[in-house]
Amino acid sequence: MQPLANITPLKPAGAIEVRNVGQIFKTTTQDVVALDNVSLDVKPGRFVVLVGPSGCGKSTLLMMMAGLRQQTSGTITISGAPIPEPDPNRVGVVFQEASLFPWLTAEENVEFPLALRRVKKDERRAKAQDALKLVGLDGFGKRHPHELSGGMKQRVSIARGLVQDPPVLLMDEPFAALDEQTRMTMGDELLRIWAATGKTVVFVTHSLTEAVYLADEVIVMSPRPGRIVDHLQVSLPRPRTYEMLSGDAFGSLRDRIWRHIRKSA
Amino acid sequence: MSAATLRRLIVIVLIALWEILPRAGLIPELFLPSLSSTLAAGWNEAGEYGHALAVTLYEVAISMAFACGGGILLGAIVGSLPRPRILIMPMVSSLYAVPLVILYPVFTVWLGIGSESKIAFASIYGFLPTMLATAAGIQTIDPQLLLAARSMGATLSQRLVRVIIPAAIPTVLSGLRVGGALVIVGVVVSEMLISSAGIGYLISRYRTILDSPHVFAGVLLVLAMAIAFNAAIKWIERKAAIWQTGTRAGQTAAEEIAPSTLQPAT
Amino acid sequence: MQSGLGVKAARVAIVVALFAIWEILSRTGIVNPRLLPSASDTLVTLGDLLQRASVRKDLVVTASEVATAFALAVPVGALIGFLIAENRYFAEVAKPLLFFAFSIPKSIFLPMFILVFGVGFSQKVGFGFFSTIFIVIMSTTTAVESVKVEHLTVARSYGATPMQTAFRVYLPSMLPVLLEALRISMIFNLTGVILAEMYASRDGIGHQIATWGENFQMKQLLAGVVMIAVIAIAFNELVRWVETRCSHWRT
Repeated sequence: MQPLANITPLKPAGAIEVRNVGQIFKTTTQDVVALDNVSLDVKPGRFVVLVGPSGCGKSTLLMMMAGLRQQTSGTITISGAPIPEPDPNRVGVVFQEASLFPWLTAEENVEFPLALRRVKKDERRAKAQDALKLVGLDGFGKRHPHELSGGMKQRVSIARGLVQDPPVLLMDEPFAALDEQTRMTMGDELLRIWAATGKTVVFVTHSLTEAVYLADEVIVMSPRPGRIVDHLQVSLPRPRTYEMLSGDAFGSLRDRIWRHIRKSA
Repeated sequence: MSAATLRRLIVIVLIALWEILPRAGLIPELFLPSLSSTLAAGWNEAGEYGHALAVTLYEVAISMAFACGGGILLGAIVGSLPRPRILIMPMVSSLYAVPLVILYPVFTVWLGIGSESKIAFASIYGFLPTMLATAAGIQTIDPQLLLAARSMGATLSQRLVRVIIPAAIPTVLSGLRVGGALVIVGVVVSEMLISSAGIGYLISRYRTILDSPHVFAGVLLVLAMAIAFNAAIKWIERKAAIWQTGTRAGQTAAEEIAPSTLQPAT
Repeated sequence: MQSGLGVKAARVAIVVALFAIWEILSRTGIVNPRLLPSASDTLVTLGDLLQRASVRKDLVVTASEVATAFALAVPVGALIGFLIAENRYFAEVAKPLLFFAFSIPKSIFLPMFILVFGVGFSQKVGFGFFSTIFIVIMSTTTAVESVKVEHLTVARSYGATPMQTAFRVYLPSMLPVLLEALRISMIFNLTGVILAEMYASRDGIGHQIATWGENFQMKQLLAGVVMIAVIAIAFNELVRWVETRCSHWRT
């Protein structure tokens, strides 16, 4: 008696599955293998960081998870279904900098994805307010991007990514343009928001320290062709603190990633 | 002394010299009539100048609609499509090297010496630089903005209406500025060459009878028109200042094309 | 230009197509051939015109006016521009004034040149000079400002003399901008001289074109337009070609 055996278990919201994904860029002279047979599982609610030197395909992989680009081979599923095009109900994306619309206020920027779906004004406003409050920008909604600091702009971007309450948040080097101090503060802020919302986060960065500091798991990638060379579990306790940066556990994780990167560079 | 003070001083001195030098007989009144006699000449014939101004403004308004409308539209299309851009833009900028004023006689043969030939000439005169400026500006729209909109599920038409058009506003303004300035020049030059009405015509008519104060009154009127137009555009640009940050380097792009296309060649 | 052979062929095709449309419009009578003589007729007329001594003389007159105005405007303008750009205070005082002078239509001052110089060589050269000098000044200040402070600092820290700085830092950094400036100044200069000739003159190709227009000699008029367009474009392309050869200096 096996009543449930042939029923596929529902994939929980926020799970990401990458299976044998390859990406080939065709140029006039040759074909460049950007990603080669990449497989990866991200469980719901995990904070996963992709790290690796330029050209390792980490951003490409992220764009494919966002439905902004299609892989040449293999499959990607988000919450159990493929993602042939961007779906803001399942995935929110946060870009580097300057992806806020300069002619809209912070509030209107956050409302933008809702406005695209013709959500009613009051509902839009209320959701945007909640999202701005979540990222700690209560009261800054009426400002335009050029009146906000770099860190604040990225908070608005995060609020915009979260406003439709997708289970997955993809972040493409979101803090790369910020100075060191702001970057540390934003890292702590992001961890707080992540803890409060329980989203699955996939985060791309160049910074090894940032990778280890934020992540549950670090995926190390190497270029030409882009592939995964290591998958580390970061077992440092939460909440993460500044003191951990100088600890042995932190240092050895960092060293391990660095050795991979040095080898591939 | 601050630079701005000195600058104001220089302007005041120049205006004062304009009055003093001819009066003192250091410059013949035929070459440069004094400011007061110029203003007096203009004031005495206010009716004639007013009528001429109306004719010129009418021609400028219609030409501007053609030049700016067409230039911005075509520039936007050519600038946003890579293939036509690579193909056409170098050709358009070669064409810019041609002194277009040689086309005016052709238009007078085709359309007569009335307003039509002026409008045709000024429209063409303003069209090319407007198109170049717009096409160059459209390319400076930050691709990140489009990517972000796409990630939020914006459709093609939503991207056009909500991203590309607002981001193109500074470009459109600089196109307007370029095209408008050239249209004014085009209309006045063609009136000066062959016509029977308008400020340019007045300037030329008074020139042939060596009536310098009336010539300069006309010149002043055209200057006032050009300055008023510039001020109007600047005012609009300030109103839309937030937009300026919408392109990757909207400002620099505008400055880059500035020396080549921003201003009338004559 | 990195444009491939296909793009070049396509451009040639566009030009040929335009001439073909012109030819067809006129030949089929869609447009009155008296108002628009066919392209082939126009080109034949152009060939005839180039044989005529009077037209050649006009071309020589125009060319000498253009050359004289250019030879005067470029060094004078460059010197003024350099002096302004070198002194920050001067620059702050003068730049808005220059911008203003640059932005007002020059053509309305043409009558003044006739009043002062009468009709003749000096009036046309004078106006050509006047139409050109502001763009030369503006471009020179831009060129001087395009010299990177870092490069100057490096040169100074290695003990470069003023002469060495001028020839090893200023000149190479400014060269591409200056070439571009020369090209654009030439456009302004040519337009100025031709307009002056069309407005009031006894000779020069601009004067000829205006006369053909007044006498409804469409074949000659269009041939003249084609001739000037070809000369202007050819010169422009020549300078642009030199520019791209120097483009590796640009960063």
